[in-house]
Amino acid sequence: MSSSENSRKESDRHNPKSSLITLISRPEIGPIGVMILLFGMLGYFSIPASETTWNPFAGEGFNALGIRNNLRVISQLGIIALGAGLLIIAGEFDLSIGSMIGFAGACMAMTLRWGFSIVIPYISFDGGTHLEFYTLLHIPNVTPTLAIFITLCFTLTFGWVQGFIIVRSGLPSFIVTLGGLFFLRGLTEVSLRSFNHRPDQAKGATTVTEIPDIKNIINLPGYGEMEREAAKYLPETDLISIVKNLPSDVIAKISERLEYTAQRVAEAKTDLLIAKGVKPLEKALENAIASDNEFMIKTIQEKIENFKIDPVIPKSITEVDIARAYIDTIGSARPIADFFGGNILETIFDWLYFPIDWNVNNFGNQFAPGLYSCVMIWVILSLVCYIVLSKTQVGNWIYSTGGNLSAAQANGVPTNKVKISLFMFSAFCATLFATCQVFEVNTSDAAKGNLKELEAIAAAVIGGIVMTGGFGTVLGIIVGAFIFGLAKEAFFYIPGIDGSFYRVFLGFVIIASALLNENIRKRIMGNI
Amino acid sequence: MTVPNSNPLIETKELVKKFGSFTALNGVSLKVYPGEVHALLGDNGAGKSTLIKALSGVHQPTSGKILVEGKETKFNSPRDASEVGIGTVYQDLALNSLTSVTRNFFLGRELKFGNGPFGILKMKKMHNIAIEEMAKIGIKIEDPEQPVGTMSGGQRQTLAIARAIYFGAKVLILDEPTSALGQKQQMEVLKTIKKVQQLGNIAIILITHNEIHARLIADRYTFISLGEVIGSGTSKDLEGDDIRRLMAGGAEVGDLAKELA
Repeated sequence: MSSSENSRKESDRHNPKSSLITLISRPEIGPIGVMILLFGMLGYFSIPASETTWNPFAGEGFNALGIRNNLRVISQLGIIALGAGLLIIAGEFDLSIGSMIGFAGACMAMTLRWGFSIVIPYISFDGGTHLEFYTLLHIPNVTPTLAIFITLCFTLTFGWVQGFIIVRSGLPSFIVTLGGLFFLRGLTEVSLRSFNHRPDQAKGATTVTEIPDIKNIINLPGYGEMEREAAKYLPETDLISIVKNLPSDVIAKISERLEYTAQRVAEAKTDLLIAKGVKPLEKALENAIASDNEFMIKTIQEKIENFKIDPVIPKSITEVDIARAYIDTIGSARPIADFFGGNILETIFDWLYFPIDWNVNNFGNQFAPGLYSCVMIWVILSLVCYIVLSKTQVGNWIYSTGGNLSAAQANGVPTNKVKISLFMFSAFCATLFATCQVFEVNTSDAAKGNLKELEAIAAAVIGGIVMTGGFGTVLGIIVGAFIFGLAKEAFFYIPGIDGSFYRVFLGFVIIASALLNENIRKRIMGNI
Repeated sequence: MTVPNSNPLIETKELVKKFGSFTALNGVSLKVYPGEVHALLGDNGAGKSTLIKALSGVHQPTSGKILVEGKETKFNSPRDASEVGIGTVYQDLALNSLTSVTRNFFLGRELKFGNGPFGILKMKKMHNIAIEEMAKIGIKIEDPEQPVGTMSGGQRQTLAIARAIYFGAKVLILDEPTSALGQKQQMEVLKTIKKVQQLGNIAIILITHNEIHARLIADRYTFISLGEVIGSGTSKDLEGDDIRRLMAGGAEVGDLAKELA
């Protein structure tokens, strides 16, 4: 034995890496790079071709409405990707997420529309053998909270059943949840069609319509509960009398705001008219310079200098305008519906802070009143998932259940409970998705959520979740949802190409991510 | 080497285990003392695995007794066995390669603030304990966040042993700890076992095929063949040849030697 053998240790074989190398070899860095690329693409491709600017917020992609719509797509996908991703980390799949969205939406919309009953069917022989129903319980007017509760009872139970079958039978989750996919979609269509035999609904349709705009029900003083839009279009005399009853400081505040709006809109319109008038002259000047006609150049230059237009007169503010603006400020009388289907960050999106074409059109109407509530739901859910997965005991159990099932069991981890809970969590996420959608658009359709299960799994994989389980982070799932959503939007704006190219791009990204993830996993497992 | 001056920590008396018509163990008696390495030797299928599974609560013996510190004990599950202080380190080590040293060390028994499975982990405290406990039996870990997959086989074995001891194992059952390891790592593991032996209060049952390893560290031997004890004794009682002969299952090696000659 040589003496050098004793002084050399195992750790000496590892070359210390610089902090830059450590940073760029982190597994999240690739996806984050792709995400930034897509941000840039969406920003710049959406800028109209006639404008040249370095500001990515100048185009439609990232004006107020663009941000509102993009974040909606991303956050809706993000919500279900969290459910799918956590389940994959624990080593299982859920293909029933999409059907669960349709089912939950239909269940919620039906209870909101027609109420909820528990019936016992029995065979009656009076007047020929037929089926009759004994109504055990009927709740005609279901509140949003109760509708969500009833839906959760169904979806969580179904999630539990799927999980129970999988852990007890040892069948692959692929096949059991594939069954769930068909079962739930079929059940949704069947129940919607049978309910639509009622006289007040188109026969056999698989949609639920005519649900009131629950989130916008307000309590108008002196008139009781009514929809916001209906309140705004009350007879003008009624609106004026509402203003009469308001305290003077409220009226002053609202009218000051409205006058300011009218002023800014008028200024913007004036600028627009000037630009419209000057532009042809400038073009003519260019031609004149090109043809070297000195007289023409002089005349046109004079014309441009003396160009004048009467400034647009700001719209005057009437009491009806004040009443309508006041009705807009009244909070919802159904806070739960508003929580899921309403808007958030309304004060930040107030157009007063922004250039006029970013969030206000030429009539003084705001493009985007705020972000969709589902963004907030996604943020809350992501935070909770992050804490649970990386900071709590359950998180360690989830990782070990997916990483090495027998090791987890040998150390007393209740792996079956972990798996069943995550199947229920994935059903919960699908229900959240459906809740946001139903309260947002006030309709439901049996086809809702089609293929969403695959999109959720794709987002998780892009975000660095390894399909065999045991590896991945919540940050990764968030980035994955961003990439998926941004790609969907960005490719739409690229001039001259088919919007469906985003699918081609995503297909490439999914395979590349899966290869990258597998490489990282092998390196950690010590197989490389 | 310690002389058994105390009572055995764990003792089996006439242990019998039948699987249907097959008799896996046919009256095995064995005594293991604290501070001792008790090597359990025997050919494949001799009944070693059944014996340790009976001791660690995986199998319930058909008849016979298991005494822990003199008291008769019955194990209905592995949890019962670990509660009275029997820690088993299986060949696969029950480690999750994809997570960190600390997360593996405390897997299923995490330290946390508050009750219930959603308690926040006391990560710093767990890091410190994991490093300390592994240092006690001779492996220095630089980074407790290191994934177990990047550790050497010997280090993994140490992690599994340190974990068993920290969670109260008085009897440590090691199932072929040196198989499937390289030479250098085998020595590392033997050193670790020696360190545990020197702690003095832990009884170690070492299952092995490797006669050289057994001779290096074992204080006492029990040889099993076809479900029965065919020889036992302290290291002084047995000469090298005896060990080799008994390990191969008794007379068969002698017969084979004659046949081949």
